[in-house]
Amino acid sequence: MKRLVVEDLKYRYPLSQELALNDISFAVEKGEFIGIVGPNGAGKSTLCQAITGLAPNFLKGAYGGRVLVDGMEVAKEEIAEIATHVGIVFQNPFTQIAGSKLTVFEEVAFGLENLGIPRYEMKKRIEEALELLDIAALRDRNPFDLSGGQMQRLAIAGIIAMKPEIIVLDEPTSQLDPQGSEEVFQAVQNLSREGMTVLMVEHKIEKIAAYADKVLLLCAGKLIDFERPPKVFSREDLEDYGIAPPVFTRVCKKLNIKTADGLYPVTLKEAYDKVVKILE
Amino acid sequence: MTKKSRWSFNFSTASLVLIPAAVGINYIGKFFAGALKLPLWLDSIGTVLASMLAGPVIGALSGAINNIIYGLTADPISLVYAITSVAIGITVGILAYKGWMDSWPKALFSGIIVALVSAVVSTPLNIKFWGGQTGNFWGDSVFAFLIANKYPVLIASFVDEILVDIPDKIATILVSYAIFRGLPNKLTLVYKNESEIEKL
Amino acid sequence: MKTLSLYQPGRSIIHKIDPVTKLLFIILAIFVPIIIGTWGAALLTLLISLSFILIGRVFKKVLPILGFSSIIILSVIIIQGLFYVNNKAPLFTLGPVTVYREGFYYALNIALRIYNILVAVSILVLTTKPSDLIEALVRKGFSPRIGYIFSSVLQIIPQMMSTVDTISDAQRSRGLETEGRLSARIKAFFPLIGPVVMNSLISTRERAMALEVRAFNSKRKKTFLHEEVKTGYSRFLQFILLAILLAAIVWRVLS
Repeated sequence: MKRLVVEDLKYRYPLSQELALNDISFAVEKGEFIGIVGPNGAGKSTLCQAITGLAPNFLKGAYGGRVLVDGMEVAKEEIAEIATHVGIVFQNPFTQIAGSKLTVFEEVAFGLENLGIPRYEMKKRIEEALELLDIAALRDRNPFDLSGGQMQRLAIAGIIAMKPEIIVLDEPTSQLDPQGSEEVFQAVQNLSREGMTVLMVEHKIEKIAAYADKVLLLCAGKLIDFERPPKVFSREDLEDYGIAPPVFTRVCKKLNIKTADGLYPVTLKEAYDKVVKILE
Repeated sequence: MTKKSRWSFNFSTASLVLIPAAVGINYIGKFFAGALKLPLWLDSIGTVLASMLAGPVIGALSGAINNIIYGLTADPISLVYAITSVAIGITVGILAYKGWMDSWPKALFSGIIVALVSAVVSTPLNIKFWGGQTGNFWGDSVFAFLIANKYPVLIASFVDEILVDIPDKIATILVSYAIFRGLPNKLTLVYKNESEIEKL
Repeated sequence: MKTLSLYQPGRSIIHKIDPVTKLLFIILAIFVPIIIGTWGAALLTLLISLSFILIGRVFKKVLPILGFSSIIILSVIIIQGLFYVNNKAPLFTLGPVTVYREGFYYALNIALRIYNILVAVSILVLTTKPSDLIEALVRKGFSPRIGYIFSSVLQIIPQMMSTVDTISDAQRSRGLETEGRLSARIKAFFPLIGPVVMNSLISTRERAMALEVRAFNSKRKKTFLHEEVKTGYSRFLQFILLAILLAAIVWRVLS
């Protein structure tokens, strides 16, 4: 079943001359994990914002094509209603804390109160979200007292509690220290395991190679490739798009180690399995 | 691009989050002016920036909320001067809209206008609540001198206030203008109030 | 992380009164003395407010709030005592200076009015949690958007101040002069304030989007995580306060 369908999506920022997104089409199945990669200015953030309806509903500008989430056309819906189908997490955990709540528990409630969720249901959802993001122990802490990794997981919890079918994460670890990043990656992996459809922009290419079912390669507003990680990362022209392949892919390339389908392994496990096989 | 009436504003989420930022900036300006022992208040930089970015209505709201918050957390009397802050927000919003905030000399002129407006609005409040004083040592010394020489309280109080306001508001506007110039396009666009979505 | 607030937790009866009633009391404490216009009324109001402060056990906390304005009040008493336009009857003489009765009383009147405002507002801010006040107002139909602005300001300021500490330390370690001549201090202002201000303005864009995707603009009817704490006698108290206000107006019109 198609969770997300993007058709001929075009977008231009107000007062800008060039298209930030140029004729993008792809579809995502329920439960898939999509890694979005590309150089700076490729349009990765803009794509995230278009999938969640922020472009054009918040950012205005010029828009063409369609984004369908479970058949719902996002450009025609209120952002608040879209939020119950597709959620988005941004780079900076600080800007995502509502700032009007005094505890972690209340912070997760923010979106639910706005949606008019009844109190009983609200509490149930908050408990679930806190549990899923592994921050239940922090429930009475002030959101601003948390570490970066904890705060970003709280931001994710606030989105998850609204029960979207898809979650979009726009470089959720770029402003975190290594430990915070690892916490967030773990959390995202958990969500994926729970069956949530995930789209994540990420510079740490090894993480994409390890988690993603498919990689979406974006450059200058155009979709270059949308395939399984080995396929995208085995591209000879990958570095032309400003992307360095995962370290294991590079090693295997040097040693000319390929898997059965003629592609290079992208993760440690794949590379190891292949090498063991050769040695046998 | 058609420019909308200067009073039109949509109470967008972006303008709304600008207000707490503006109040915070006011607070920080006041804090550093105090910490550096500058003879100025510099406590309305945020209000001025909010007006420049999002227009007179958001500027006025920033001013009002600034004084209400300050009144409820530090000095209740500042509640009364919410009126002055509102006037500053409106004035800067109009000046910016009219193009009186797009060069250094124009910003300087705007600073003088804002000082005048601020003094005109504050003087009756000073008279009503403090018998005409401002609480600023230099200004109040002049006030004492003037009423000792039988000048009317209205004049003495206005002079007291404007003496403090002229340097303060000029400095405030110039600092705000310098910051405004450094803001990225991506940000200022969000506040441009464009509501049309073009079809591609 | 502290929020910006003067609230003193407590269990007194004043703490339990609902925030809207306290707001109403502030209005009353400011306007009734003005409507009636006598010394007695102003003094009585001040005494009533002070007794609420005592019942709330927050008297010590009210002193700094009063202290803030007391220096100016002192200067008002001196300046008006010496130079008030209608000064005629000398009150007392200290060496070469004479303090006059008219100016002195005029200044006392000012002081009384200021203290009335200060103490009445203090009852609210010292015995009410800011979030309770905002939530009470939003429940009464006050715009939730304005309510949001107030609660986020209270959190954002301490937040920005902690950034300020980091920046001041960094700038000072780079040799920024923050003491000494006025010109040096003026020059120091910009590098200190610039980064925090830029940062807080630029982050408004992402903050606005983050709020939007948490249904901030939802057209649905909002619900609340916490149940409303109802105090049975709040309606009764509010009725009494309104009655007093009305009585004061009637008294003024008739006399």
